[in-house]
Order: sequence, then C-alpha cells, then structure tokens
Amino acid sequence: MTFAWLLRRFFTVLYTLLVVSILVFGLTQILPADAAVTLLGENATPQALAAVRERLGLDDPAWLQYWHWLSGLLQGDFGTSMRTSQPVGPAMFTALGRSLMLGGASLVVMLVIAVPLGMWAALRRGKAADLVSGLVSYLGVSLPEFVTATLLLIVVADQFQLLPATGYVAPSEDLVDSIRHLVLPVLTVSLIMVAHVSRMVRSETIDVLNSDYIRAARLKGLPPSTVLLRHVLRNALLPTITIVALDVGYLLGGIIVVEEIFAIPGIGRALIVAITSRDLPSIQAGAVIMAATYAVANTLADIAYVLIDRRIRYD
Amino acid sequence: MSPVLQVRDYSLDYVTRGSSQRVLQNVTLSIEPGEVLGLVGESGSGKTSLAWAIMRHLPGNAREAPGGVLRLGDTDLRAASSKALETIRGRRMSMVFQDPSTALNPTLSIGRQVSEVLVRHRGLSEKNAWRAAIEALEHVDLRDPAGLMKRYPHEASGGEKQRVVIATAFACRPELIVFDEPTTALDVITGARILELFGRLRAETSVAALYISHDLALVARVADRVAILEKGRIVEEAPADRIFTAPAHEYTRHLVAAVPRPEHRLVTDQVEPKDLLRAEGIAVRYQHKPLFRPALPPATDDVTLDIRRGEILGIVGESGSGKSSIARALTGLADYDGGITLEGKSIGSAKAMNRAYRRAVQIVFQHPDSSLNPRQTVADILARPLRLYGGDVATIPALLEEVRLPASYAGRYPHQLSGGEKQRVAIARAFAARPDLVICDEITAPLDVSVQASVVELLLRLREANGTAYLFITHDLNLVRQVAHRIVVMKAGKIVDVLDMEMLKRGEIHSYTRELIAASPTPVG
Amino acid sequence: MTDALHRLLRTPQGVLGLLLLAVLVLACLLGGTLAPYPPEAMDFAGRFAPPGIKHWFGADQLGRDVLSRLLVGASSTIPLAVAATFSGALVGACVGTLSAYLGRRWDEAITRTIDAVMAIPHLLLALILVSTLGKGSTNAALAIAISVAPSMARVTRSVALSVRQQDYVKAAIARGEGAGWIVLREMLPNVAAPLIIEATIRVAFAVMLFATLSFLGLGAQPPASEWGLMVSEARRFMHQAPWIIVAPAVAIATTAICFNLLGDGLRDALNPRDER
Repeated sequence: MTFAWLLRRFFTVLYTLLVVSILVFGLTQILPADAAVTLLGENATPQALAAVRERLGLDDPAWLQYWHWLSGLLQGDFGTSMRTSQPVGPAMFTALGRSLMLGGASLVVMLVIAVPLGMWAALRRGKAADLVSGLVSYLGVSLPEFVTATLLLIVVADQFQLLPATGYVAPSEDLVDSIRHLVLPVLTVSLIMVAHVSRMVRSETIDVLNSDYIRAARLKGLPPSTVLLRHVLRNALLPTITIVALDVGYLLGGIIVVEEIFAIPGIGRALIVAITSRDLPSIQAGAVIMAATYAVANTLADIAYVLIDRRIRYD
Repeated sequence: MSPVLQVRDYSLDYVTRGSSQRVLQNVTLSIEPGEVLGLVGESGSGKTSLAWAIMRHLPGNAREAPGGVLRLGDTDLRAASSKALETIRGRRMSMVFQDPSTALNPTLSIGRQVSEVLVRHRGLSEKNAWRAAIEALEHVDLRDPAGLMKRYPHEASGGEKQRVVIATAFACRPELIVFDEPTTALDVITGARILELFGRLRAETSVAALYISHDLALVARVADRVAILEKGRIVEEAPADRIFTAPAHEYTRHLVAAVPRPEHRLVTDQVEPKDLLRAEGIAVRYQHKPLFRPALPPATDDVTLDIRRGEILGIVGESGSGKSSIARALTGLADYDGGITLEGKSIGSAKAMNRAYRRAVQIVFQHPDSSLNPRQTVADILARPLRLYGGDVATIPALLEEVRLPASYAGRYPHQLSGGEKQRVAIARAFAARPDLVICDEITAPLDVSVQASVVELLLRLREANGTAYLFITHDLNLVRQVAHRIVVMKAGKIVDVLDMEMLKRGEIHSYTRELIAASPTPVG
Repeated sequence: MTDALHRLLRTPQGVLGLLLLAVLVLACLLGGTLAPYPPEAMDFAGRFAPPGIKHWFGADQLGRDVLSRLLVGASSTIPLAVAATFSGALVGACVGTLSAYLGRRWDEAITRTIDAVMAIPHLLLALILVSTLGKGSTNAALAIAISVAPSMARVTRSVALSVRQQDYVKAAIARGEGAGWIVLREMLPNVAAPLIIEATIRVAFAVMLFATLSFLGLGAQPPASEWGLMVSEARRFMHQAPWIIVAPAVAIATTAICFNLLGDGLRDALNPRDER
C-alpha cells in the first residue's frame, strides 16, 4: 500500500466532509425561522434580539458564517447548542459512542448471521431452503425499521414480557441489564441488514461456485469440504467487505429511527431532537459527524480489501 | 490390452424450460494406452459436453440417455459414486482447461494449487508435496519454479499459467488427460511452445489423451487419430495423416476446405501502386495517464504504413502488438500523434476527420455481439449510414442480399441472429457507405472456421464488386497469407516487417516473422 | 412496450408484482369509494373494536374503521412516493449520463461530489430538508426526490459508462455521429432499461422512507390516513389493539414487496437477449 494511495484516500475523506458541511450548512440556512427568536422566545425585546444576532453573527453573509463555523470545527469547537446552551461537541461525541456500540453490535450480529446464511443459500440454490431464505429476505428488505421495531416491541416486550421495551443502560453501570436493553434495538437494525447482505453474499457465492477455478478444483478430485473451505470461502468473502461497507450508510440511517423508538440516547436521537428544536449548531455538527463515520468506515473497508486481495494495484 | 477410455453409444440431452435438446448422439470412441485422440468440432458440436461427461461434471440440466457406456480402464464411470469419483479425478484422469487465467484460483498461491493434488492423491505430506510440486514445475520448463510456487496467478503470464495447469494434470501420472482447447486462449507463439511441451511429455509418460479443439490443422499435427464431431454425432474417425489428404465424410471435407492453407491463394490479382491512405509516425497513447506514475509506453510507436487502392493489406501480430490501436487511430477512435493522408489530402488529427474521410474509411469490429446496437433492428442499423452518406434506404434489401442474408432479416433484432450473421450485418453496415477502405479488426477470430471461410469469401466478393481496399487485422498468419497482397508484422507497438508474397517465398523475412510462421500450424499433407 | 409486458407476465415475480400493483392502483384510485366507512368517521362506542364483521380490520382508538383508513391512505402514501422517485431518478439520470459522457476530470469531480453527498444517510438528508422546508407531505416528497437523485446518478453513470465501451457506440463515433445522436439514439435506449428497473426498486425504498418520515411526525400530518402516520399514532395503543398497527404495517410491506417484485420481473423482461 503506497503512501500516495493513503494520501489520496485521506483527501477524498476531507473533500467528502467539506461537501457535507457545505450542504448541511446551506440547507439549514434556508430556514425561514429566525434563530434569535428561537433562542430567546417570541416575547424578547428587539434590542435583546439584535444583541443575540450580533453575538451569533447571524447578520453576516452566509459564506462568512460558514467560514466561522468551519474554522471553529477545525479547532475542535463544534459550537454551542441553541437548545441547551452547552457546547455541542462533547454531547455529540458521547452520543456517538453509544451509537457506535449499538451499530457495532448490530454489524457483528449481522455478519454472523448473514454471511453463513448467504453462503448456505447459495449452496442449496434452487432448493426449498434457498427459496425460503429468499422469501424471508424479501420480507426483510420490505419492512421499514420502524415497522420491525414496533412489531418486535409488541411481540417480545409486550406479549411475552421477555425484554425491556425501551431505554438505555450504560454497560459501565450494569453489563447484563445493558445487554438486555440492547437486544431489541440491535435485532431491529440487524434484521434488515441481514436480509440485504445475505442476498448479496448469496449471489457472490453463486458466482464463485460457477467459476472455472472451482470447477478445476473439483476436477482435481478434491473433496467438497476442501473445495468449499479452501477455495470458495476466500473468494466469496472478499466482495462481502465492500457490501458491508456500503451498508454502513444504511446502518446509520436505521440507527436514527431505532434510537428514537427505543429511546436510546445516541447520535440519531440527538439529531432528531436537534432537528425538531431547530438547534442549528447541533444539526450541523451531528450531520458532519455521521458523514465522517461513514467516510471512515468506507476507508477502513478499502484498506481491508486492499490488504486481502493481492490483485489490486494500489494506483 | 484394454483401452484406457471407452465411450459406447453415449447420448446426452440438455433440458431447458421444458424442452430437451439432444447434444450428443450415440457417440462411440475409444482411446488406447499411449494414444492421443483428437476430437474436432465447431461451436455447438457438443465436444465440450463430452469432456464434462467423461469427467462426470455435467451441468444440472443434463440428462444422460440410458444404455450409453463410459469406461475408464475397468471402471464404469457412470456407475461410480461421487466418493469414488473424487479418487479418480486428478489421479486416474485429469483435465487441462482452455483459459489458464480463469482455471487458477486467484486467492491461492500457485504452489498451493499444485501441491494440493499431490497431498490428496499421492498421500504426501505438505512439505514433500511442495517439493514434488517444484520438481513438476521444473519439468514443464518453468524458470525459477521455487519462486513461482510462492506467487499468485495474476503474477504469472498466460504461458506460465498454462504450464502450471499442465504440470498439475500430469502430477499424479494419470491414465488419461482431457485437453480442452488448451492453446486457444494463448498467443500463437506461446501456444506453439505449449504444444511442443505436450509432445515431449507425451513421449515421456505415454499418457493417453483426448485432445479437443476446433482447429483441425492443429489437431492433425498433435493427435494420432482424429474424430470429427458434427452436431453431436461422430461423422468420421481416421488416422491424423489421412484426415486432410483423404477426408471421407462430406462434413469433414467441408471443414478441410475451410481451413486456411497459405499456399492456396484466394486473391490472385495484382494491385497498382497507387496510394490510397498513408499513415506516418503514428503513436497512439493509452487513454488515461495515471496520476502519480510515469506514463505507460505508447500502444503504437512511430508506425508508418501505406495502403494502395484496392489492396488487401494484412496486419499480423500477437496481443499487445498494437495492431488494433492502429485501427482505432485510423478511424478517429483514439487520439494519436502523427499524420494521416487520404488520397493526398492530409488529415490533421482525429477531430479533423470530416464526413468525406469517414465515408471513405469504415471499420468492422471483432465482437459481433457488441458491434450491433441490441435495441435497433437490422434495418435501423443499416439505414443510418445510408442516410448519412447519401444512400437510399430502399436499397437495404439489396444490401442484405449482397451479404447473403435474406431480406426478411431487416426486421430482426441482433439477438435473433447467429454470430456469423451478425458479422455479415456489420459488414453490410460498413459497405452501406460505399467506402474506399474497410478496416477489418480481427473480425473472424470469434467465428467457427467454416463460418470464417464464408465471411472471407464474402469480403473478397465485395471487393471484386466495389474495388474496396482492406486493412485486414488478424493473428491468423495462415489466413492472411491467403488473402493479402502485402503483410505488415507488428510486435510491441512497432512494425517489424513489411513484406509481399514474393519476399515471403524467397524467405526475405524478419526472424520474428519466421517464428510466427513456424508457430502457425498448417494442415498436414 | 406490450412485448415487455408479455415477457413480464411470464416471470412469477412479474405476475405477482403486477397483481399487487393492480390492487394498489385500485386502492389509490377508488379507495374512497370502496371504503365501507368514511375514514374520519369516529365512533366512540366502537373504539378498539377487534377485527370482525362490522370492521374487517378492526377499529382504531377513535373508532375509525381501519380498513377504510387503509384504502383512503393508499392515495396519501403511494402516488407521492412514486412521483418523488421518478423525478429524483430523472434528475439523477441526467447528471449520471452527463458525467459519463464528459469523462475524465469532470466525471471524476462529479462522482466524488455525488459520493460525498451520499455520505449523509438518506433519512438524515430527508429529515434536514423537511425541517428546513417545513412539515407536510409535499415537502417530504421533495426531500425524498432529492435523496434519491444521487444514488440514481451513480447507477446511471456506471451503466452509461459500460454502454459507452460497446463497439456499436464506437461504430457511431467512427461514423462521425454527433454527441447528441450518440447519447440519445445509441446510448439512451440501452441505458433506459436498467434505469427503469433500478427506479422501480427505489420506489419501494421511497415508500418506506415516506412512511418513516410520517412516523416521525415530519411527513403527512394528521388527520391524513397515511400509513406511516397510522403506525405512529397507534404506537401508544399497541398493547390493547395491535391490529391498528399491524394493518398499516402490512400495507407498507406489501407495497414495498410489490415494487421489489416488479423490479425483479422487469430485470428479466427488459433484457433483449433472453429471447432465444
């Protein structure tokens, strides 16, 4: 892996964040509502409003406001929340940490289920097992997260009282209870991703199974288990990395809804609160952080891919 | 002694969407120990299906008719269980595939893929198997076998990979090896070397072999006996030296007649040395200059050639020689440095190619599948150049007839035509403009040899009627020796030789040209 | 056109998809007439009535008939999602084709920018847009159109690039055809088919996104009987009356499945090579 390649990836990430920040900033600036009014309320005096506008630089042209915000960002200052008057950064990052836990767990659960499921469906192609898994996947992809979440809540939390419905418990407080609270949210997020990823793993594996080199391996008299483990697995796993990387975006979107429904104080929930309360700095910071997470995840996937697949030239 | 392979009355069907199609019909053949049987057939003849049937690796929709016999020595292959087959494959019979770049697992080292056969069938330990594998690779004339073992397939050339595949096939000293067109995917010279290797190994090991190919000339040189397969039936079987001199069956005679024989000239006229097109110092670069690395060497380097009115100029070379890049430069599909002159008028660059130039210079591409727009009917495809160059759309039926296609084809879509038919439409499209020069970029390469012969015959007929010149690009030296007035030989982007038939006869040719000629198998007898 | 329809009907996905589509279109067009009760008709005596003869799918927390609300809600949920997808797809397709055609640096710049925009999760982008423009169905639809455009641009670009490599495009260039002809007559008919397939599948996604927005209170507003909204309103009562939630949930899923099936069926139907 050349330094030039890494440098290029790094600049790509930077460009991404730049575009995202401009986009989000631009979109939120269309806001007709006056931020000062939002802060101080409808009954504030014109002088107070003017003072706030002055302080927040709301009268500056848009690009100047953007520049102020960006330079603050680069120094680690994410601005002050209009809702809580607290610095945005720490709150957002703590929330991000919780979301990463949820997301990470979901990713792991998803991989553990989807990859073997997809491969198994490929091996049993055309048979009953494949069709059933196909049907279930179809269903999985057609259910929005909020539907899955709600149905799970009804069945598991309500009817059978197996797990707590909503809420969050930090692992540092009580690990077992923390896990119990995470089960349903993780299940919801992973279910859709399992449906998605397992179909793709299936089609990748089918391609590998039909390839000339697998046929050559079989015709060398190698037993099926050897063919599968030594020859098929590696080639089917490689594209899986790309598939999973693409799904991270999906994951982040799903997290927003799931955190809302299960009342988990992660970055998704923070964003919804920020959006509904028109807390501009929080919206801007949250969006950039989410985009950064996505960009970093993709870069890690690229690096992993390049390390594993020897065919790729890093230029 | 009992034959190594016995196939008796074997019939095979493929079932698709409820209907079944007979692919092999009562095939009977046998191979004695140490003998090489060549199996020749065109596409759709079923030759590859026979190979799969013998290796017992047929696709899921294959149905074998009852009663057919497949025996390897004393073993009834059809009755063998899958566990038994696992011990037979690789050990008693093995296979060499057509395309070495897809036959090797890209994520495993070469060494692993050779040694695993030895571990499996000869019971060697991993370490001993590795060592034995190195010896096997040495035996197939690979340089630095130990180093090659550690590398991955994409780090080896086509010729090296095919040697690895052959080494793997020979590794366990099988009784029978099935060769499925092993040189088709390789360059001419590389393929010739592989055939030499095959000859040597065969002499050393006395292995029996089934050599499958579409190339009758090649098979006749390699095999002891040749069987001809037409649409699933064996129509003739004869010793190799007789198949060309005295073909018995009509189909065999048809195949033999279609094989290009360099001594048998198809074009006998002379051409006046009046320049039609002149290209000077053409250098075609690859499209993208990579960002942080030095530029790749140009695809063609300072190529100068001229084509005379009504002449057939052949360009031969292996892949990477730059011959297709010339075609792209001359038709404005690639940017180039250098100058082109058409009938004295100089054309500055690709952008300066005006309508008159484009009418005069037409091109027919190699792959019939991608050269016709799948969403346009044949009539649409032919109407466009007619409209552009002042022809009459009403002449489409006549145009189709010129290329020996029924007028009713005008309403058809490309996917409803065969490969040869699509190529004819592409030729008709080129001729619709009434050009002075038609560039044929390897147009016969993907075609069966009999279809190739009919397309060549068509081209020559059109030339007689219209006086068109051809720039005939191919890797088939025998074919070009039949039709070209002059031949240009290219290697690595440069012109290596320019010769006419006289020079060829007198032997005034470059050493590389000599190598190419030696590597192109001509029919025996 | 009819040829494609016939081929669509030959695939099981196509048949099922078209069947479901027919049901949905019927619901959209005639929902109001077919509904047994007016969707706003409240019946306090019959609140939380379980599914039965009087109310086939039961009644909700205000005694409104769930089936009627579903039927009327179809026209709140589906047409906007479809319109949003196709307008977003159109914009995306233009950008993607342009990028593929321009090539080299422009292509690189446009692609990187599209990739950057796609770093924002769809839902988040839609949420920000809706919060900026204001709540409501039309704004939600607009937001969805804008979030669909980048991914359609990407798909279009890759299809256009592969079409551009084909020999028949090269033949057109060698003939000296102008850019307009090449793009419109040679490339577009071959690019259109994969795009239509992709767009159809995106409709499923748009329906789900629209429902999600309504669920979060930012899409359709009460008392509309948009399905996502119905799920959101019914959350509080899911212990007592799960059918209020299950019915719209199933409706959403069915719609998504319908368009996924259609997309799959179209994949086979629109491929000219399968005629053999």
